[in-house]
Amino acid sequence: MEETIVVVAEQREGKLNRVSFETLTAAQAIAAETGWTLEAAVVGSNIDAVAQEIAKAKVAKVYAIESPQLERYTADAYVAALKQFVSTKQPKLVLMPHTYQVRDFAPKLAASLGRALISDAIGYRKDGAKLAFTRQMFQGKFAADVSFACDPPHFATFQAGSFRGDKVEMGASVAPVEKVAAQVDAGAIRVKPLNIFKEAKQAVDLTQAEIIVSVGRGIKEQKNIEIAKALADALGGEIAASRPICDSGWLPMDRQIGSSGQTVAPKLYLALGISGAIQHIVGMKGARSIIAINKDAEAPIFEIADFGVVGNLFDIVPALTEEVKKAKAGQ
Amino acid sequence: MIFRTPLPNVDRPQMEADVVIVGGGPAGMACALRLSQLIDQHNSANPESPLSKENIYVLEKAREVGQHCLSGALLDPRSMRELLPGFEKEAPLDAEVGQEAVYFLTEKSKFKFPITPPPMRDHGNYVISINKFVKWMGEKVEQAGITVFTGFAGSELLVEENRVIGVRTDDKGVDKQNQPKSNFEPGYDLKAKVTILCEGTRGSLTKQLIGRFGLDKHRNAQTYGVGVKELWEVPSGRIAPGEVIYTLGWPLTTQEYGGAWIYGSKDNIVSLGFVTGLDYKDPRLDPQHVMQTFKTHPFVRQLLEGGKMIRYGAKSLPYGGWFAIPPLAGDGWMITGDSAGFLNSQRLKGIHLAIKSGMLAAETAYDALLEQNFSAQQLASYQTRVEKSWIREELWKVRNFHQGFEKGMIEGMFHTAIQQITLGRGLHERYAAHAGHKRLEHIGTLPAGGYGREHMLGPAKGDGKLTFDKLTDVYHSGTKHEEDQPIHLVIHDTDICNTRCTVEYGNPCQHFCPAKVYEMVEASDVPNGKQIHVNFANCVHCKTCDIMDPYQIITWVPPEGGGGPNYDGM
Repeated sequence: MEETIVVVAEQREGKLNRVSFETLTAAQAIAAETGWTLEAAVVGSNIDAVAQEIAKAKVAKVYAIESPQLERYTADAYVAALKQFVSTKQPKLVLMPHTYQVRDFAPKLAASLGRALISDAIGYRKDGAKLAFTRQMFQGKFAADVSFACDPPHFATFQAGSFRGDKVEMGASVAPVEKVAAQVDAGAIRVKPLNIFKEAKQAVDLTQAEIIVSVGRGIKEQKNIEIAKALADALGGEIAASRPICDSGWLPMDRQIGSSGQTVAPKLYLALGISGAIQHIVGMKGARSIIAINKDAEAPIFEIADFGVVGNLFDIVPALTEEVKKAKAGQ
Repeated sequence: MIFRTPLPNVDRPQMEADVVIVGGGPAGMACALRLSQLIDQHNSANPESPLSKENIYVLEKAREVGQHCLSGALLDPRSMRELLPGFEKEAPLDAEVGQEAVYFLTEKSKFKFPITPPPMRDHGNYVISINKFVKWMGEKVEQAGITVFTGFAGSELLVEENRVIGVRTDDKGVDKQNQPKSNFEPGYDLKAKVTILCEGTRGSLTKQLIGRFGLDKHRNAQTYGVGVKELWEVPSGRIAPGEVIYTLGWPLTTQEYGGAWIYGSKDNIVSLGFVTGLDYKDPRLDPQHVMQTFKTHPFVRQLLEGGKMIRYGAKSLPYGGWFAIPPLAGDGWMITGDSAGFLNSQRLKGIHLAIKSGMLAAETAYDALLEQNFSAQQLASYQTRVEKSWIREELWKVRNFHQGFEKGMIEGMFHTAIQQITLGRGLHERYAAHAGHKRLEHIGTLPAGGYGREHMLGPAKGDGKLTFDKLTDVYHSGTKHEEDQPIHLVIHDTDICNTRCTVEYGNPCQHFCPAKVYEMVEASDVPNGKQIHVNFANCVHCKTCDIMDPYQIITWVPPEGGGGPNYDGM
């Protein structure tokens, strides 16, 4: 048995799901405490680029588990591939982010190996030689520490947001990527995925955006949102808004950020004309960099902004958009 | 703006019940428990003709029992001891009241009353969290075999030929346009032999009942207060568990009714709040602002400094007293608790009265079940029971208390003094009462500062540590609603909001609502440049808008069941 932790990262249609970095952060912390080796794996077909991206983090190795049968996600194929990999590798611990996709196959994977799965953990604790995972019970009223009573390999998933993806340690050099050819019998796949489609019309997943330009009441009129959109386009980001904007129908509900909208943690969040009511803050305080533009010097948004400009957004934003375009053209 | 109304032409599932108790608060739970006890007793004495508990239901609009319950609170154990002797051993009681003090506050100082006035003496009472207490009662009700439907609101009274025949529950899965969604579930028509209303202050079905049958004729107008509460965790040693403090005076003036409470609970938790009578004159007065200003008093500041506000909420209270209580029973119906107005406004206690009234309603329902007679004549024994019980004894003594304050604090104190020596009578047999919303004055007649009231008019800014703006406070109420549903605060004529009300009262809904539900937002096609916007998702179900709107054009109806505040620990 190897003293290894394997983080199974998630990719979809060739794009790495950034929540995988959160699992890597957790795994790095556990590896530091246990002294175990940390490796990563990703499942799919033609996923070299994804594997290379993961390899930038501080891991010993990245496995690209590939097969043509893994091009489209199915629980059967993923379980078959990972079961082979885990049986061969025999790591001590397999960690995954608690995404919808992981929820679909992880229990089957653990069961197929006769092992246990601790799911949706929000943290972990090392108690002597034992590793315990913290889970919430009764809608968060209690937390329970759960540890494994069976033999390894052990399986656990972490709740999104329980660790900081941006705190993952990067490697001094890119880790080696090893291709693993998975043997997946096409006949054993019982489900045939059809076309992937978005359920709601124009449903946008702001949680995957790296740059978000967000507008609040300060934008005054619906037509002024164009100014913010221009900045978002120049930066290559998404447009979003606080509640009053979506309530008035100026932007669709799926662009709303806050306690009754989406919670995001992008690299860059620009808050334009947003006062910073707590209901909005809780939806974006995890952003790595926050820039706020507001003409009210006392707006609460300035308390959490990394950079703040007290001024008129109608003067500042167009000028900013111009500078961004110039900078990008100059590149 | 589309408002919530029950969908027409919909086939509704019909369900038969013996007893439907609307509301799972202290009154409703006490009623269910008492009924269960009586049925158990009956069944062991009459095993050949048992009564069933299967057709007795409690409807509770919150997602969990107790979630919408808020109070200070101090529990007078009198009725609980009757209901469950020895309850103190297992009920969640936070502290036994130790020391009490009453203070009169001015802006910078305080004057302690040399003796605590007898009505405010609380020895023998308990500091509780009504939310936790009701949760515990709910467990007992379920153990007793009575079903509690959580997440179901009583949205309409079913009436046939002047008999209340039951309750219609809320339509679920209705979108903003009042159209059925894919998860549409029509409300049930719960046909009950007797419907017991335990909805709390200004209950929506109670309001329908009173309106339908003119139950407020020959009664004093009900008058109300709104209590704004915050739960704080403070550094050790600031206040002892069981320490009870009341304050009068600042920040209110002699022309407003109200005051504050501060109760020390266990684990360094402090319950504090300010109750403002909903009969003030300046429509710009903001009860949440009053509460924030109150906290800046040096006395309160030193208690809370360095602490953390953990929860916020608001609740309205019925101050009208004995003469404002409507007829309590009729064909197929009874009213209990705060819905009826069973509050001792002098002692500031109502939970024990709610529990006792629930018990008496249960005893009446039990007799009715035995007789299989649910007529007004049969249920009238509820009224008799209440009048013969200590409920009347207690409330009769304070029957003219609140009305004495209509002209301000000085006169109120004078009348109280006279009432003390005349066993509650005072100068007249029955003091008149006037609905609070009628006293609001036109803003055109008031100066900007409201004659020295700047510190409580308009929105509180909050410093984010000791005091908070309304939106921050509302966040801490944990209130949540299904967003895609029609507005449940039904405004019958929004034109009035945008035209007359702006000019006459300055849209006081923005101020009296403790949850920032109502906002006047800039709009282009409206006469005054602003129009009413309803953020219904912020609602904490306090009913202040239904009570205080000067034109009485707002009717609060229950939103989709399960939505509302989360008053954990309140």
